[in-house]
Amino acid sequence: MRDLSIEFCGVKFSTPFLLSASGVSNTAEMIARGFEKGFGGVSYKTLCVQSYDDMKIINPSPRTHAYNYGSKKLVGLQNVESVTDRPLKDNINDIKWLKKNYPKHIVIGSIMGFSKDEWRDLALACEDAGVDMLELNLSCPHMEIEGSGAKVGQVPRLVKEFTHIVRNAVKLPILVKLTPNVTDMTEVALYAKEGGADGITAINTVAGLSGIGLDNFVPFPNVFGKGAISGFSGPVVKPIGLRFIAELAMKKELGLPLSGVGGIETWVDAVEYLLAGASTVQMTTSVIRYGHRVVEDMCEGLSDFMDEKGFKKVKDIVGKALPNIHETSEFDMSKQGAVQFDLDRCIGCGDCYIACQDAGAQCITWDSEKRRPSVDETKCYTCMACSFVCPIDNPPLITFKEIKGKKPYIPEPSKL
Amino acid sequence: MEKTLRRTNLLKSLFDVEEGYSLGQAIIEADRCLLCHEAPCSVGCPAEADPATFIRKLRLKNLKGAIRTIKENNILGGICGIVCPTDKLCEEKCLATGIDKPINIGKLQRFLVEYGWQIGFNPLIKKPAKNIKVAVVGSGPAGLTCAAYLAEEGYDVTVFESNKKPGGILRYGVPPFRLGEDFVDREIKDIIALGVKIKCNSPIKGKGAIEILLKEGFEAVFVGTGLSSPYKLNIPGAHLKNVITSTELLKDVKAENQEKISGLVKNQNVAIIGGGSVAMDVANTCKVLKAKKVYCIALESMQELPADKDDLQMAIDNYVIIKPQCRVKEIIGKDDTVIGVKGNETEWKVPRLLIPSNAEDVPGAEFSLEVGAVIIAIGSGPDSQLKEQLPNVKFTKRGLIQINKDTFATAVNGIYAGGDIVRGPALLVDAVADGKKGAKSIIKFLQGGK
Repeated sequence: MRDLSIEFCGVKFSTPFLLSASGVSNTAEMIARGFEKGFGGVSYKTLCVQSYDDMKIINPSPRTHAYNYGSKKLVGLQNVESVTDRPLKDNINDIKWLKKNYPKHIVIGSIMGFSKDEWRDLALACEDAGVDMLELNLSCPHMEIEGSGAKVGQVPRLVKEFTHIVRNAVKLPILVKLTPNVTDMTEVALYAKEGGADGITAINTVAGLSGIGLDNFVPFPNVFGKGAISGFSGPVVKPIGLRFIAELAMKKELGLPLSGVGGIETWVDAVEYLLAGASTVQMTTSVIRYGHRVVEDMCEGLSDFMDEKGFKKVKDIVGKALPNIHETSEFDMSKQGAVQFDLDRCIGCGDCYIACQDAGAQCITWDSEKRRPSVDETKCYTCMACSFVCPIDNPPLITFKEIKGKKPYIPEPSKL
Repeated sequence: MEKTLRRTNLLKSLFDVEEGYSLGQAIIEADRCLLCHEAPCSVGCPAEADPATFIRKLRLKNLKGAIRTIKENNILGGICGIVCPTDKLCEEKCLATGIDKPINIGKLQRFLVEYGWQIGFNPLIKKPAKNIKVAVVGSGPAGLTCAAYLAEEGYDVTVFESNKKPGGILRYGVPPFRLGEDFVDREIKDIIALGVKIKCNSPIKGKGAIEILLKEGFEAVFVGTGLSSPYKLNIPGAHLKNVITSTELLKDVKAENQEKISGLVKNQNVAIIGGGSVAMDVANTCKVLKAKKVYCIALESMQELPADKDDLQMAIDNYVIIKPQCRVKEIIGKDDTVIGVKGNETEWKVPRLLIPSNAEDVPGAEFSLEVGAVIIAIGSGPDSQLKEQLPNVKFTKRGLIQINKDTFATAVNGIYAGGDIVRGPALLVDAVADGKKGAKSIIKFLQGGK
């Protein structure tokens, strides 16, 4: 196994894989088991003060709902969970125990204050407990208390203000965890930087509504007859998370290290986040789906990838894709291509033909006798729909090829 | 609790029926379907059950639509899903085989029908009553299908059945571990719900009796009597006690006469003559009734056995001894009771010409087996009295009813026929197809289109 360590905001992580602040980092006992499997650190379930009885955190029941696709389970997860509902004292004791028993693993104290004083007090409490870093949760999309969560993350001025308070209170590196439920995250990130942030974590959950009960018209999760627009995560949000990480990484004025979150389930997802500019990655839904063992395959997969591609350090991967990310207007439209079929492996299902007829360029014809497609390359506008529905994969039967000198194909007028 | 799939063929009891899919299992199976263009599976079904459409509907969460597709195309869709040799029809054509293995279409079809029963959804809608009476003779698959389609169109249909309960071969020719009687009853309930009257214990006896129905208020008649008369062997000892036919065994093993059959085979060695699916059913039945050694003796080689692969495999898994390319020449008796069989190994004079007269003895390859019962499973023919009941209808040399192949009309105006009585031994789905086509022709005839 290669050395998978990476330095992030001046702190050394044994692997770039972290448990994110959520139900998977709720107690020291469960986090410890995750460390044993290969997680390099944890962003501990967000702490709050709960100083008054009317601020007691009580979680709804049920608190999560799975979004499935066909027989594929948990491609998305909707949750209405709040920050920790455990007493601050218990959480502080858990963090102390973790740092004592796992000194080489990194514990990030995720915090959320409901007032300026609370931000400061929580930061100091975490510092006393021995955390290695802080992560300011300015992004939880379903905190019912005003002046907290994503409602703060959407107001750049407050982001700066709260970050500044924490900055003045402690010397620890500070991450600011941002919400994707904004138009431009880079703007908010710049405010965090001004407030004194050392790094950015993105993304928190995407505000979503994953489904509605057809018998009672109540959205999921159905909390005794009520639903809510709330946080959505899991593999389906990976493209959104990856986008925000890339945008933050490409923002020259920002220049802060990044921790990527959102739909990371395999080492491939993790490598993509690294390529897009993240130095560490965090996960929850994949741990819910597969348990801590998911990280064993990430470590092994990342190590083999580094061997294969000749990367000596994880940091060498970080941001490697950024030079290849452009505006679509910069594409070279003078080059065109077409799909090509490896017909020796075709089993004759005809799904490509249906896709091309009903959703593509109608460039595929179908031989009903032989049950084989053929493509008119001049008419193919490479929507690639045929390749998406072809059941023959690994390697794919239908692929893209460049056709030198080909003119872009524009469909002819409809014969009506 | 989630249903578990049978992992072994070893039968625990006579009523050890394979469980159907649960909703979850059905969704997983449907997910594997490629949803082919011009789907070969749908082309492969004689009953036009259209699996490509009902699987697509299941895949797109249109469950009621999927049930509607099956039941509208095949009123016996549930039963077909269980007993149809799908590996030779729709599943044989399934292109998912090119990736892994065929979709289990039969089990998906059975699931959807059962799911409809479970949620209380019946897609069949009866048209307004026409007050025109049609008689159906025989409540096997052809007769029931014809009756259902006529009833759906508003005709007043009466089915005459000589047995105590309806279903014909479905009830009396398939062992309970393959198709439970409660399942047959449930699917027939869908047909009765359409207004079909089924008169059991009502054989149409006597000279011209079926033709006379046309004078008793019925404006058309469909004959679907099947092949109810088992072939017998003409060898020494065939008359002995403890020599019975597969038809008798499979009929008696249902319910009340089970003890009689059990008494015949329990702790005995049994010789079954025949190598088809029925022979395998009988062999497996004997095994669960605690027979000792069960031999299946057939003229065909192992590769040529006419039994479905699944049925043969089940017999092998239940420790049935297959004796291919063997002929029983004599049944030995003592005090009128079977004590053994004698025979000879055979080979074909002309290769692959699978008829008894083409089999010749291999010199020096005699065999004898000690058995206490012999069961003849070499097929059935038409009831010999049928000609008497239909004096003006034309019959083939084999005693089958001659019909117009397009209309299923017999030589008598207003009398139609379908199923095995027309085709000889054929598949359940063929009988269903005939019942549907017969009904269509009868409707045309009754509307004056002839």
